[in-house]
Amino acid sequence: MSGTAVVRIEALHKSFGPLKVLKGIDLEIGQGEVVGIIGPSGSGKSTLLRTVNRLEEPTSGRIFVHGEEITRPDTDIDKVRGKVGMVFQSFNLFPHMSVVENVAVALRKIRKLPREQADAIARRRLDEVGLLAKAEARPAGLSGGQQQRVAIARALAMEPELMLFDEATSALDPELVKGVLTIMSGLAKGGMTMMVVTHEMGFAREVCDRVVFMDAGQVVEQGPPAQIFGSPSSPRLRDFLAQVL
Amino acid sequence: MDSVLQTFFDVHLMASVFPDLIRIGLVNTLTLAGGATAIGLVVGMALALAALSRRVWLRWPARVYVDIFRGLPIILTIFLLGQGLPLAGVHPFGTNSYPYGIVALGLVTGSYISEIFRSGIQAVAPGQLEAARALGMPYLTAMRLVVVPQGVRNVLPALTNQFIGTIKDSSLVYLLGFAEGQRELYRIGQDVAQRTGNMSSLVAAGLMYLVITVPLTHLVNLLDRRLKNGRPKTAAPQAGDGPGPDARPTPMEVTSA
Ligand SMILES: Nc1ncnc2c1ncn2[C@@H]1O[C@H](COP(=O)(O)OP(=O)(O)OP(=O)(O)O)[C@@H](O)[C@H]1O
Ligand SMILES: [Mg+2]
Repeated sequence: MSGTAVVRIEALHKSFGPLKVLKGIDLEIGQGEVVGIIGPSGSGKSTLLRTVNRLEEPTSGRIFVHGEEITRPDTDIDKVRGKVGMVFQSFNLFPHMSVVENVAVALRKIRKLPREQADAIARRRLDEVGLLAKAEARPAGLSGGQQQRVAIARALAMEPELMLFDEATSALDPELVKGVLTIMSGLAKGGMTMMVVTHEMGFAREVCDRVVFMDAGQVVEQGPPAQIFGSPSSPRLRDFLAQVL
Repeated sequence: MDSVLQTFFDVHLMASVFPDLIRIGLVNTLTLAGGATAIGLVVGMALALAALSRRVWLRWPARVYVDIFRGLPIILTIFLLGQGLPLAGVHPFGTNSYPYGIVALGLVTGSYISEIFRSGIQAVAPGQLEAARALGMPYLTAMRLVVVPQGVRNVLPALTNQFIGTIKDSSLVYLLGFAEGQRELYRIGQDVAQRTGNMSSLVAAGLMYLVITVPLTHLVNLLDRRLKNGRPKTAAPQAGDGPGPDARPTPMEVTSA
């Protein structure tokens, strides 16, 4: 497995000052695997996800992406991030750019593609999330669900080998959640390797290949959704499921 | 009553100074203030970015610079630099004191502008920098393309205010001693007032300042209103989207590369 792993996390610790948020995480994610990460608020799910593209610096431990150790000081993290897409709870679209510019900007400024080519790719991605018609609009003119779909298109434009989702639907009105989840399911079926922090247990159960339950900075239990939701073995997971289901 | 009118509002005297006020004074005032503001914008942006850096050796000098230039009377700085630079052997502009006046005023203005930029950049949601960096943009690229444009937009009113201030402060650099054709509005008004013993030329100069500053003041108000009502500061919270999540503070500079 370790030869084909897209992500390998070894003995990962992370503290914010005195607060120990991650306490020894070991995790491996294979090619095309969709891993759901669930757990109570404050358990360290976002922090774990954000160490994978080093938006958070690990305190100790190692992380490999496609075999390359990205936690080394000499890693070109910008290059790694170009291959790791991230979708945030709060969308974080760039409000001073049009929708198509949001999607094209990294292609132009980092991949150095000419404008026409970057725009063509951006429009294709927007079409895939059903928002080609909004290409010239400003993000502020879009609903939350539409903004999140643009954010997904923006990440996909870089042709990532791995996608990180941090509660992509938590900030959305209930009626807008489905559209975003549908796109995420489509990506999963298309073979994208994904780490998905989510409160959507339905998504975790139906789309994820594996579900990881975190509590207090540790992976308490993991396995196929059927096992995690059908026969949870640890009391903490049982408590958690009793609360959210 | 007549003597008051005569002393301050002698229409003939005013009419006679207006040509010089416009041809020489206005041009010089705008050159001094415009040049100083141009320098101030560059210096201010560099200082603001340094002040926001994670690196102590960048933050510290920026802090000290701003504290010193904001803490000194502008007249002292203008003399200190305006006369001092050439004396110290830094005289790229020869012995003409005009450009040194612009530089001195620009360096002071830069300290004020840096604080304006800094607050504007800090008001940009941290998620903006994170999203840009997560796409693979290096820190400075992310700042240039994503954070700074939004930060500058936030502070356009404050920058315009600063420009008004610089226009007024530009009346101080005449103390460095300028040639006839380099005199700005105040100096021209004052020269005539001294010669004639009548204030009308200063009133005329004052009117010239107001012609520039009053419209700018209204522009500030307009920009302010636009900023408050129109465009939201970050990814617009849509009706019903709930409050912006992820509001936890994050370091400005995520992972140097
Ligand atoms: N930059 C930071 N500085 C200080 N503390 C932080 C920081 N980021 C996270 N924390 C703390 O670390 C802990 C874990 O946070 P994290 O966001 O990873 O949890 P989470 O599992 O994603 O929770 P949620 O479901 O609410 O999103 C929390 O106690 C949080 O307050
Ligand atoms: Mg979280």
